[in-house]
Amino acid sequence: MAALHYDHRFRAMGGPCRLRFDCEDEVVAGTVVLEVEAEIQRLEKKYSRYLPDSVTSQINTTAGSGAFAIDEETAGLLGFAQTLWQESNGLFDLTAGVLRRAWNFKSGQLPAQSSLDELLTCVGWHRVEWDRDSIRLPLRGMEIDFGGCVKEYASDSAAAVLVRNGIERGLVDLAGDMATVGAGSVAEPWPVGISHPRQPGAAIAHISLSEGGLASSGDYARCLLIDGRRYGHILNPATGWPVRGLVAVSVAAPQCLVAGGSATIGMLQPEAEALSWLAELGLPWFAVDSDLNCHGVLAAPP
Amino acid sequence: MPTRPGEKHPALLALTSSALLLPAYQAARADAPPEFMEMGVRYSKYEEDRTQASKTFGGSSQRYDIDAAQFHLLAPVADDWSVAVDVQWEDMSGASPWFVGESLDGSPKVIMSGASIEDTRTEVSVTTRYYYDRGNAGLNYVRSDEDDYDSNAVALDGSLNSADGMTTYSAAISYSDDNIDPTQGSVPTNTRKADKDISSVFLGVSRIVSKNAIVRFGLAYTYRDGFLTDPYKFRDKRPGERKEWAVSTGYRHYFTGPNGALQADYRYFDDDWGVASHTLNLAWVQNLGFSTQVTPFLRYYSQGEADFFSNIADLDKRYFADDYRLSSFGAISGGLRVRHEIGNWVITAVGERYETDESWGVYSGDESPALVDYWRYSFGLDYIFR
Repeated sequence: MAALHYDHRFRAMGGPCRLRFDCEDEVVAGTVVLEVEAEIQRLEKKYSRYLPDSVTSQINTTAGSGAFAIDEETAGLLGFAQTLWQESNGLFDLTAGVLRRAWNFKSGQLPAQSSLDELLTCVGWHRVEWDRDSIRLPLRGMEIDFGGCVKEYASDSAAAVLVRNGIERGLVDLAGDMATVGAGSVAEPWPVGISHPRQPGAAIAHISLSEGGLASSGDYARCLLIDGRRYGHILNPATGWPVRGLVAVSVAAPQCLVAGGSATIGMLQPEAEALSWLAELGLPWFAVDSDLNCHGVLAAPP
Repeated sequence: MPTRPGEKHPALLALTSSALLLPAYQAARADAPPEFMEMGVRYSKYEEDRTQASKTFGGSSQRYDIDAAQFHLLAPVADDWSVAVDVQWEDMSGASPWFVGESLDGSPKVIMSGASIEDTRTEVSVTTRYYYDRGNAGLNYVRSDEDDYDSNAVALDGSLNSADGMTTYSAAISYSDDNIDPTQGSVPTNTRKADKDISSVFLGVSRIVSKNAIVRFGLAYTYRDGFLTDPYKFRDKRPGERKEWAVSTGYRHYFTGPNGALQADYRYFDDDWGVASHTLNLAWVQNLGFSTQVTPFLRYYSQGEADFFSNIADLDKRYFADDYRLSSFGAISGGLRVRHEIGNWVITAVGERYETDESWGVYSGDESPALVDYWRYSFGLDYIFR
């Protein structure tokens, strides 16, 4: 019996998601869809900072008091975040999310330096006390946010569900963070588009994804335009001000999580440093600078 | 500096290594070669209890002690290969049962060989392993040397995972060429030079039955050919070949609540010498946080005697032996294994007590006066170069 193509769209982790795969057996296909959605929901419930029962919220609630016991998966994510922090010289910081409180991108106004200064006292990954068993945020008001890596991890974890079910060609796409599965993807790659940073809904590049994962990080929507100057939502955790870097970075890697971490580090650095860091990394990459010039070896323009 | 092809940039290596620790990648890593070099040392002490005075004829009641030191090295080679080197030095001393005689009251008593045995053994094992998409295959060579014994063995094994990654099939074959050249001590030996060959084959399958459980089955056949008699036993003459079969099964279940795993294993053994045995192993692996594991374990063993075993060997028979290892008995052993990780270091310690009694077995037979009880301890230290 020939394999059928399944294409399932759903919403999770605050964005549009799409699961595509080939499967000969309808029952298996149904199981795959349910298990993938369940796995993504599990991670969303566990790490969303908007849900009061999530691990993230519980850790943040205990800030300034005792340690919070964590499991292996959470410790793994913290370890990955620690590596991102080290490799980005502190620019990727799991505790930087509180700076968003000062930035209201809808207001048309820049934040007062005093409010940034106050929030900056609660930022600093080096202050977090953690090991594989527990985490402690030493100051009241400190918060961590796994938003920078959970979606990528969820793509990989969903791809692992496809592998466990014997799927030989599949693509998980969580709002642009993608993971492929199986030898079938190598034989028949997935055509995917990379979002245009300034034209919502349009693609700035098209590529064929045959193995591993692809993740994109970009200064897409949220920004302030004041006196002709653009203030993006990628903030430097040392100053609280937006990084004047690339506007979009995509990286391909064997794991979507590694692709996402690399793309994020690419976005956090000043333009010139980011381009040379990405070029040296050894992974296929694609970047768009502030003048909308394309760089990298991932894709040709459409 | 752009990195050369095939060489990973340190940043990429760091990101990949830390990502792969996450649970979503654990299954995919199952057949990946080791990422880092590992090196370890281990010291073990094996100490047999003295034989009860009421069961020996004068002489020494002291038995065997073994001190062992081990060195282990495992290193990744290129992308898909690993090499492991294991070296073991053993220092054996003490006495072993020489033969069993009948005392005046008719009860069998053991005559020990006297504290005459002093031997050292050196074993070197080299394994290369190749990792492919759905499994791995290994080739192993072992050379063992003692004053009076040497052995050369080769083994080949392979595994294959099913497309869904839920089932693993494995197979192994091995061949060993052993040479015996008895030299030691004051005990007369019953051969001057002899050799034996051991061939074996194993087939196994394991399957992930749920998110937290694995079952496995195994089937093994071993053929021994050559001089199988114990050269240091006075009354011992055994057939020149032995065919052995074993079936085994095991179950592993991880329990999220207590963060521990139950391991249960059973093995049935049967051979053409009339020896049959049951082995049941139970262990509970308790994780204490991520860095410590405490594993209490319990083993039950019961063996039926060989057709030609008798406490007072009948030298008129074609084959005879009074070796307690061919008698019927039951054995219970229990112990504790502790494993603790500190940074790149791993410390392991094991303590085990083993006791035997004829009445603990499910097979009936005469109790050998030479049954052995022992203590075993080991302490190991490993380092991972990451």
